[in-house]
Amino acid sequence: MKRRTAIRQLVVVAGGLALLPSCLSGPGNAAIKLSNIILSGEQEKTLAEIAGTIIPATDTPGAKELGVHLFVLKMLDDCYEKDAQQKFIKGLGQADQVAKERFGASFTKCKPEQRQELISDIENKASLPAEIFDFYQIMKQKTLQGYLSSEYVMTKQLIYEMAPGRYNGYFPVKAS
Amino acid sequence: MAYLNINSIKERTFDAIVIGSGMSGGWAAKELTDNGLKTLVLERGRDVKHIKDYPTANMYPFEFEHRGELPLAVKKENPVVGRCYAFGESTAHFFVKDKEHPYIQEKEFDWIRAYQVGGRSLLWARQTQRWSDFDFSGPARDGFAVDWPIRYADIAPWYSHVEKFAGIAGNKDGLQELPDGEFLPGFPLNAVEDYFKKQVSEKFKGRHIISGRCAHLSRPEPVHLEQGRGQCLSRTLCNRGCPLGGYYSSNSSTLPWAAKSGHLTLRPFSVVHSILYDEQKGRASGVRVIDANTKEETEYYAKIIFVNAGSVNTNLVLLNSVSGRFPAGLGNDNGLLGKYVAFHNYSATISAEFDGLKEFTTDGRRPTGGYVPRFRNVFKQETDFLRGYAAGFSAHRGLDRDTGGFGTELKENILNPQLGPWRVGSHMMAETIPKESNYVSLDPDRKDAWGIPQLRISVAYDDNDEKMRKDYLAQFEEMFAAAGFTNIQPRNKPMAPGLDIHEMGGVRMGKDPKTSLLNKWNQFHACKNVFVTDGACMTSTSTQNPSLTYMAITARAANYAAEELKKRNL
Ligand SMILES: Cc1cc2nc3c(=O)[nH]c(=O)nc-3n(C[C@H](O)[C@H](O)[C@H](O)COP(=O)(O)OP(=O)(O)OC[C@H]3O[C@@H](n4cnc5c(N)ncnc54)[C@H](O)[C@@H]3O)c2cc1C
Ligand code: SF4
Repeated sequence: MKRRTAIRQLVVVAGGLALLPSCLSGPGNAAIKLSNIILSGEQEKTLAEIAGTIIPATDTPGAKELGVHLFVLKMLDDCYEKDAQQKFIKGLGQADQVAKERFGASFTKCKPEQRQELISDIENKASLPAEIFDFYQIMKQKTLQGYLSSEYVMTKQLIYEMAPGRYNGYFPVKAS
Repeated sequence: MAYLNINSIKERTFDAIVIGSGMSGGWAAKELTDNGLKTLVLERGRDVKHIKDYPTANMYPFEFEHRGELPLAVKKENPVVGRCYAFGESTAHFFVKDKEHPYIQEKEFDWIRAYQVGGRSLLWARQTQRWSDFDFSGPARDGFAVDWPIRYADIAPWYSHVEKFAGIAGNKDGLQELPDGEFLPGFPLNAVEDYFKKQVSEKFKGRHIISGRCAHLSRPEPVHLEQGRGQCLSRTLCNRGCPLGGYYSSNSSTLPWAAKSGHLTLRPFSVVHSILYDEQKGRASGVRVIDANTKEETEYYAKIIFVNAGSVNTNLVLLNSVSGRFPAGLGNDNGLLGKYVAFHNYSATISAEFDGLKEFTTDGRRPTGGYVPRFRNVFKQETDFLRGYAAGFSAHRGLDRDTGGFGTELKENILNPQLGPWRVGSHMMAETIPKESNYVSLDPDRKDAWGIPQLRISVAYDDNDEKMRKDYLAQFEEMFAAAGFTNIQPRNKPMAPGLDIHEMGGVRMGKDPKTSLLNKWNQFHACKNVFVTDGACMTSTSTQNPSLTYMAITARAANYAAEELKKRNL
């Protein structure tokens, strides 16, 4: 019983998902419960770093700090066809493979500049295995969505008003 | 034993029974109980208590696991309800899922249902425009269906009655084709909507853009506060259920009101199987109910019965109410029960951009938009199709986000979106002509889990609908171009009938028992103590969203029924 409450207190809320930090979910498993895809703890860390490369921490938290990669996983697991899921996992592996070949280290162990170089190549459609692009398309789209709709952004950056109580159809645009 | 039985019958006997607790059933319950009648409301679904049973009402977007989207498995399991724009992660619990209640589509028909206390009144888009005499006299003038037995003057006081209680925001627009009502302050149009309104009125005689009248408490009156409802704060999360009671639903308004009278018995999980007919007395005596959970059968009795199961389901209950006197369904002497079903044609949209008025944008939200009342064939026949269409029209400025690249620059860009151009959009809402070939019937073999025959639906578009779709796109393209809009994109939006969620008819009103089922008071010609006042009673469909008219017709019929009971005529 004690252990359970301890674990519950450790549950953090990221991107609206209650999740357990990966250290608690046993070796090799993802931190959130997935029903359709299988992902290792290592792959999950890679995703976190990629999310963090797409939207890095600055003076405000980035996608990794907000746990957005777990939202990406949740969406991939529940909202995509099997085919897309498989390509995603495959593309993720290939991206890590490219990192190893190019920099002699897995993506998580790469230096920030090396990570940026790889993501830049993907963005610029460099010649890379096809599934990398399938993977990246979903990864980026869902990272953006997860970040913009995260509690942090919606309460601290682009404030979402639950009940505005007003409508002004002639709101002046500030001259910039 | 006999004594116990008499007691039990007494407990199951009421002055009035209402079948269904949705938009129209809520009104029947309120009016009947206001008249002091002991009223039993039978609802097949679960109870949904105002506020308490709105689990998602106060959730922030980030509190939804999938940010509003539904998992693929849910979408795949629900091709029909999945096509409804309002079916999402925050509302799915209020909709009937495809597998739960199968029906047979002889022709493709998206039947969108909500089985619970409140029915679809929880989910509606709350648009409430009155009909005019151009609508009620339509069939007579244009020679289709049968003449309505009522005119605008018959229903006008009941529109007022309903509007005052439900609370309708709107402006007095002074249009003959869209009569004004009892309005709370209307929601404003925005800069580009006003601009389009002006352009259209200058360049297209007889065409108008107004702010859509909607069932929202823009400024609550004492009667609304008395219902426990408060001001609408423009959350526009309405179809999750509004904790403020800002919009009208049976749950927030008529049902709790009826309950307060002390005359209401609300019985959820009560599937009405059929209406019982007493051959000796020559009148309906009550209803047979199957418990949704235990499947146990019980009979309830009353002097009058209101059928408000929601258009198509009302047809089902009536078709299933067979007796020696009515072997083909209650009141169905002429064989027309289930026929002349019609709907609204929403099968086209058009969008564009506007380069002007960049000094303005919008701030806040509003629970309605612009509305274009019907302008085709109103005062006289002027096209090669019958009737016409109304349309929605709204403008907004979106945010453009540069999502190229990655890293700090991307982050900077998405956190500082730029105001995009004004974008405008419209959708059509056309009248369809009721036809004998558009019908619902009972499947002779297949039954549902409660032993009730499954419904067969056979409803389709026709040439008239096709001509109207083309005309809508052509007229709006012309109006958009005349207003200087650019990037005009007319779009066909093929959709099966039903997805408009304005299905009507099957038990139409009329003057002649040979060609209609209900009289001008919504009583069966052949069984006077049964009233049908939901969409099933509609002789024709007009172009306006129909629920306000169902509510007004219901209130009118319920007060008539109560008076007739007092006079011992029923
Ligand atoms: C997303 C959406 C948007 C809409 N927008 C608008 C709009 O803007 N304007 C407008 O006018 N209309 C709109 N509508 C339509 C509106 O909701 C319906 O016209 C209205 O709810 C119909 O009222 P009703 O009482 O006939 O049926 P319902 O509200 O559907 O209620 C019928 C009730 O009867 C119950 N029932 C059915 N069969 C039985 C049985 N055998 N025994 C016991 N109970 C039974 C059902 O469970 C249900 O609770 C919209 C609907 C939806 C879903
Ligand atoms: S717009 Fe009004 S009615 Fe709708 S949820 Fe908001 S406050 Fe409630």
